Amino acid sequence: MSAISIRNLSKTYPVPFQRLRAFFRRPAKAAVEALRDVSFEVETGEIFGLIGRNGAGKTTLTKIVATLVQPTTGSVAVHGHDSVEQDELVRREIGLATAEERSFYWRLTSEQNLLFFARLHGLSARETKQRISDLFARLELEEVAKRRFGELSTGNKQRLAVARSMLASPPVLLLDEPTRSLDPLAAARMRDMIRSLAEQDPPVTIFLTSHNLAEVETLCRRVAIISRGRIRAIDTPRKLRDLTSESELVHITVAGGEKVSFTRQHNDDLLDEKIRELQDRGARIIDIETERATLLDVLERYEAADER
Amino acid sequence: MPIKSAFISVHLRLINMNSLRLLPRRIFAFVARDFRLFVSYRMQFFLRIISVLAVVTTFFFISKIFAGFTDPRFSQWRDPLASWLTGLAVLNYFMTGFSSLANSIRQEQMQGTLESVLLTPINLPTIIVASSAWDFLETTFFSFLYLFFGWVFFGVQYRGNFFLAVVFLLLTTVVLACLGILSASFAMVFKRGDPFGIFLGAGSALFSGVFFPTQLLKMYAGPKLGSISSILPTTHGLDGIRQVLIEGHGLAEVTKPLLILLAFLIVLLPFSLWVFARAVRRAKREGSLVQY
Repeated sequence: MSAISIRNLSKTYPVPFQRLRAFFRRPAKAAVEALRDVSFEVETGEIFGLIGRNGAGKTTLTKIVATLVQPTTGSVAVHGHDSVEQDELVRREIGLATAEERSFYWRLTSEQNLLFFARLHGLSARETKQRISDLFARLELEEVAKRRFGELSTGNKQRLAVARSMLASPPVLLLDEPTRSLDPLAAARMRDMIRSLAEQDPPVTIFLTSHNLAEVETLCRRVAIISRGRIRAIDTPRKLRDLTSESELVHITVAGGEKVSFTRQHNDDLLDEKIRELQDRGARIIDIETERATLLDVLERYEAADER
Repeated sequence: MPIKSAFISVHLRLINMNSLRLLPRRIFAFVARDFRLFVSYRMQFFLRIISVLAVVTTFFFISKIFAGFTDPRFSQWRDPLASWLTGLAVLNYFMTGFSSLANSIRQEQMQGTLESVLLTPINLPTIIVASSAWDFLETTFFSFLYLFFGWVFFGVQYRGNFFLAVVFLLLTTVVLACLGILSASFAMVFKRGDPFGIFLGAGSALFSGVFFPTQLLKMYAGPKLGSISSILPTTHGLDGIRQVLIEGHGLAEVTKPLLILLAFLIVLLPFSLWVFARAVRRAKREGSLVQY
């Protein structure tokens, strides 16, 4: 069974009080079509990435999976539980960490905030204490445990949001830009932790949205590209890159400053041949660089297609 | 398909049992949170105590104007200070029952924490009960303070069946809480402008007999305007409590207000829960849970 199963999902945000507006002859606003016929599955233990521009539909999709927004048509199931009919069961299976700072009580300390949410999850006093202590250690938040949320740095607020999402040890984590406000070292440690969650036994399924495409590329087994509410492509990062171009530009630098550049196809022998050729000439290779299509190129390609 | 439905139904029943088991823990979570937020503003607590004392003292001096007032038609008002203090204490309690949930939803919306709370596996009835729990504790304390200051500093005497008075208090509060759920539903959908609050807040003070006997309304404003008091649950709750605490009546003499309150409850409880569930569904459909 898939961890997350999304079928023919569409979401149009209705215009509030449309009939009332029409009655009073107020100008009608257009309904916002946020998602159109989205279908895909996320396997258990998979790190799945969702990328797209602002307003592409990432947040709406995440909130529908989290039961906070209801779909217009289609369905979402988490471990077989429907997100509308069995929303309470779905909420037992998921944890959501957003970059939204306003989702905590600013006058309570980090610890008091987690304590409150742990109790809402139904954790016993002993479980709560143990879990909070583990999460503070794992996310390096021990020093700020007794500090009010309002006094925390943006990075620590973000780490606390991730800690909260993991309170009840949910088998599915929805992470919305989990490293956005973190310094490079902290971001690397966060990525390591995400990887380890997916590898642990039993594995945690990660549904990740991010604007950091390099991060998505290194972390995710599969990536979906969303543009204007439609899923345009789903595949491994490598195959997505290949959609744009199957060739890459290679620069070989040899001692003395000479630089050899050429274009090769992903599976050809040209790189071997060039290296052999240089070595036969007695040249000492000091650096090899490749320029290949990135997820950004893929994203730009779909955006350009949509704008046409 | 029927097997799947049966499976879902069994599952949902188990969830409900589990929710019931976890209800005290969740209520405690809200109470502990609200207590911590409350003590983070210590000054406000002491200022409120002082203001209750000031109000009680003011009413003591006003009551002296009516010394010797013994109109037999207004049996509950022989000691006006006792009537005012029970009126204020009870109105305080009733208004909490009415406004607590709407305030708490509105506050969570403004803080941006409503989504985080709704992300946890708690159901709507739990949110309704738990998010109002601290307000009731706080109001119990301050309502008690009105009566306590009256007794300690100004010699006000209360008699009768305290248990019966508490029954009236709880029943009226639950009825008002149902109206509060309707008010919260309004806040959930329209985000502001709550007509129930305006109607009940101003209406209860004027028409329920908090500050003067309701009979005076009929005498001076006519039977039509005077009859408004009879459609307000606060009138019957307050009448019942005063009959018990001030006149010393027993259960047999207060069955009428008791039955009226029960009728309010039977109609309003299922209706308000239904409206609230629809309001949450609408907010989820519009994606407006965090908007305010």
